[in-house]
Amino acid sequence: MKTTSAGTIESMDCLVTVSEGSPGSGVTVAITGSSAARFSTAMKKTVLATAQELACSGDMTIAVQDNGALDLVLAARTKAAVLRFTGGAA
Amino acid sequence: MRLRRTKLYLPGNNPNMLLRGHLFGSDGVILDLEDAVALSEKDTARILIQQVLKRGEFGECEVTVRINGMDTDLWRQDIEAVVPFGVHGVRVPKVENPGDMQLLDEALSEIEDKAGIAQGSTLIFCLLETALGIHRAYDIASSTKRIAGICPGGEDLTADLHTSRSDSGVELVGPRRMVVLAAHAAGVCALDTVFSRITDEEGLREETEFVKQLGFEGKSVIHPNQIPIIHSVFTPTEKEIDKAKRIVAAAKDAAKRGLGAVQVDGKMVDRPVVKRAEFTLQRAGITQEEVQ
Amino acid sequence: MITNALGRKLPEEIPGYGKVRPYEGWNLRKPEGHRDGPRIRATFNDRTDKVLPDIKTAIKASGLQSGMVISFHHHLRNGDYVVNAVLDACAEMGINNLTLFPTALFGVHKHLIQHIKSGVITKIWGSVNGPIGQLVSEGGMEYPAILRSHGGRPRAVTSGDVHIDVAFIASPTADRYGNLSGVGSRSSCGSLGYAHTDALYADVVVALTDNLQPYPIANIGISQLNVDFVVDMESIGDPAGIVSGTTQVTRDPLRLLIANHAAKLIEASPYFHDGISFQTGAGGISLAVAKFVRDAMRERKIKGSFGLGGITGFFVDMLKEGLFERLMDVQSFDLDAVRSIAENPNHVEISADWYANPWNAGCAVNMLDVVVLGATEIDRNFNVNVNTEATGALLHGIGGHQDTASGAKLTVITQPLLRGRIPCVVDNVYSVTTPGEVVDALVTEYGVTINPKRGDLMDAAKEAGDVPLISMEELVEKAHALTGPMDPVEVEDRIIGVIEWRDGTVLDVVRQLKG
Repeated sequence: MKTTSAGTIESMDCLVTVSEGSPGSGVTVAITGSSAARFSTAMKKTVLATAQELACSGDMTIAVQDNGALDLVLAARTKAAVLRFTGGAA
Repeated sequence: MRLRRTKLYLPGNNPNMLLRGHLFGSDGVILDLEDAVALSEKDTARILIQQVLKRGEFGECEVTVRINGMDTDLWRQDIEAVVPFGVHGVRVPKVENPGDMQLLDEALSEIEDKAGIAQGSTLIFCLLETALGIHRAYDIASSTKRIAGICPGGEDLTADLHTSRSDSGVELVGPRRMVVLAAHAAGVCALDTVFSRITDEEGLREETEFVKQLGFEGKSVIHPNQIPIIHSVFTPTEKEIDKAKRIVAAAKDAAKRGLGAVQVDGKMVDRPVVKRAEFTLQRAGITQEEVQ
Repeated sequence: MITNALGRKLPEEIPGYGKVRPYEGWNLRKPEGHRDGPRIRATFNDRTDKVLPDIKTAIKASGLQSGMVISFHHHLRNGDYVVNAVLDACAEMGINNLTLFPTALFGVHKHLIQHIKSGVITKIWGSVNGPIGQLVSEGGMEYPAILRSHGGRPRAVTSGDVHIDVAFIASPTADRYGNLSGVGSRSSCGSLGYAHTDALYADVVVALTDNLQPYPIANIGISQLNVDFVVDMESIGDPAGIVSGTTQVTRDPLRLLIANHAAKLIEASPYFHDGISFQTGAGGISLAVAKFVRDAMRERKIKGSFGLGGITGFFVDMLKEGLFERLMDVQSFDLDAVRSIAENPNHVEISADWYANPWNAGCAVNMLDVVVLGATEIDRNFNVNVNTEATGALLHGIGGHQDTASGAKLTVITQPLLRGRIPCVVDNVYSVTTPGEVVDALVTEYGVTINPKRGDLMDAAKEAGDVPLISMEELVEKAHALTGPMDPVEVEDRIIGVIEWRDGTVLDVVRQLKG
């Protein structure tokens, strides 16, 4: 299965992994790690918004392994991982 | 006149350092897309730096990005990615050719134009890391108006000279002198290379005092703990501050009385000396208003 | 429901705790009556050897029964074998429904989880860390954990709020008549400060040692007057887990930056003069502050009076250098401290009662000039939380936080603004450990934030000119801007933790996590 990722699990970073989703599922997001307990809502929002901004059609599962990434870092890693997945350019 | 005593390198793919770099009080930060980022991660790092430029903070720091060398095909994507998001300048490794700087100048102008940024506002700092680069320092430094500073390399330069780095640093003395001369002849900053022995505080102080005496204005920094030491070397002594105050006061006085010539301690003092005195006070953190 | 002086809503009574006295103010509750005491024993010269061969024999001899209260100190820290061994023995002997009353617990004590689940331990009156804390937070115990500070615990014991049936005191050195010492062996821990109150007030005292020495031993910390039995064990603990080699000052640039700001505040304060006394933590930012303050003391030729704590080799060096006259030691953190307390008459052992109990004629923290502390959270009113993490789990004890903050003339909290994405500055702390009225300043990488109640400190900092100041409003805004909005913690109604103030009133409660 095709997967791409961007980022690391170093402090203040997150590892975002994009893989093929089941047909018709759209973009699904799963969050684990240190920010998950209090920031899941905001994080899901950012991941979905970033994927949308890149005009993603197609089903993908985006998994975030977090180690304290601020929102701008999450957005950057998500954008990079999605672009790698779709083969687009920054 | 901007202080450039310290520029802290921040690895371009490291969120922790990119977000915190400005807290350590350096005069500038260098977001590194070159040596600090693996080839496979250049794309991710560009996107991260974009976000950090857009939404992060850098306080009063001069923000530059070290792009990849112009001998690669990466540098264009680097400047296209970061310049529109607001940087003070770019730092270019392994510069050997004034023509490359003109090429970079044009590419930057195009991007500034498209992004609605003031033409010419993106500065260039050149790393001279080969014998040829050092040899052509003056031509490089005067190749375009964007050049704000030139810096000798350390490891790479030593390798190109077919020698090794010694404790005394004698192998770099010659190149350093050439860079200082070329920089001042061309009217740009001379900024020295990094000191890599992070725990050797005495060694750092000695080297900084040496390069200051040669005519450098600052050093690159690879660890925040180095910043206070370098700043203290570049901070004027009481005696220097005192003298500078008297010169600036005399200049103000002369100006008030409509006199062309400035006198201090019975001696005539030239305009450049007054400028240097003003700069000394600036480095000491004393405003001109405070001087009577 | 009653509302205490911090606006926290509390039930009038809590099962497993009793009637709730709500917090009124940091120094308002007045004690009544006299101190509690242990049962009286008579001992004659027909009994000159208190040594028993193993723990089970000692438990039998002590008369320990199901339902009783047993206590332990935490001087063996993460190298302790004793707590686990005693509870294992109780389990094997069919003794259960015990109230565990430790001065603190460590990771090594996760071994106790099986005894919690099986009902050998049904109450914990003390801090719950790590896996035990997580278990408690998820509702794994029927009765709430009751948290007290290092000063609040001896207050509770001496006033009779808690009566200890059997105290188990691990002792690096002991003699056959029950004199105990924290030094002189390979498992030395230095001061036995936290064990003193238990020794004096428990009905039965069982010492456990792996180093029996001829009567009478040197460096007696706890005396034969109070000890009933001595168990001769194979090993009371692992030296590597008991004390660290030498405590090092951090080299992390962010921590050094914060420490530097804090030191500048201390130097600018009215307390930075000859005779200064201070206390810092054992590591991280706190110890780095000690280093910067020491450097400034050397430069300005200032001599301190005493160092308090929590003693590390760093303070020992300051004592040797003449920067302190005395060290008052309730807990020795490393080998240097252990060596020093054994050899240097100016390095004295003090009990927790002496250190921090507000209900006596004067505890050590009252004479303290400066203390540097940490926090997991601090809010707009400078209330501090050290007990719960961002998940809402109860994972840390109070330690001496409440006591030192109350006693010190200058209480400084040092903390990075962010741990990952979690901010340490919030609108309201999740649970209160120490009220803002005794907290003077917060120092983060963004600068020094002074409690507006301390106008004098604000003026002093401004006058010094090299203290970077940032208001609490600005700091809260900055935290919000950096982290974005947080989801609330989801909890059940059930209370799993009670946080007492050092005077026995209730500051706050912690509720069970949902799911």
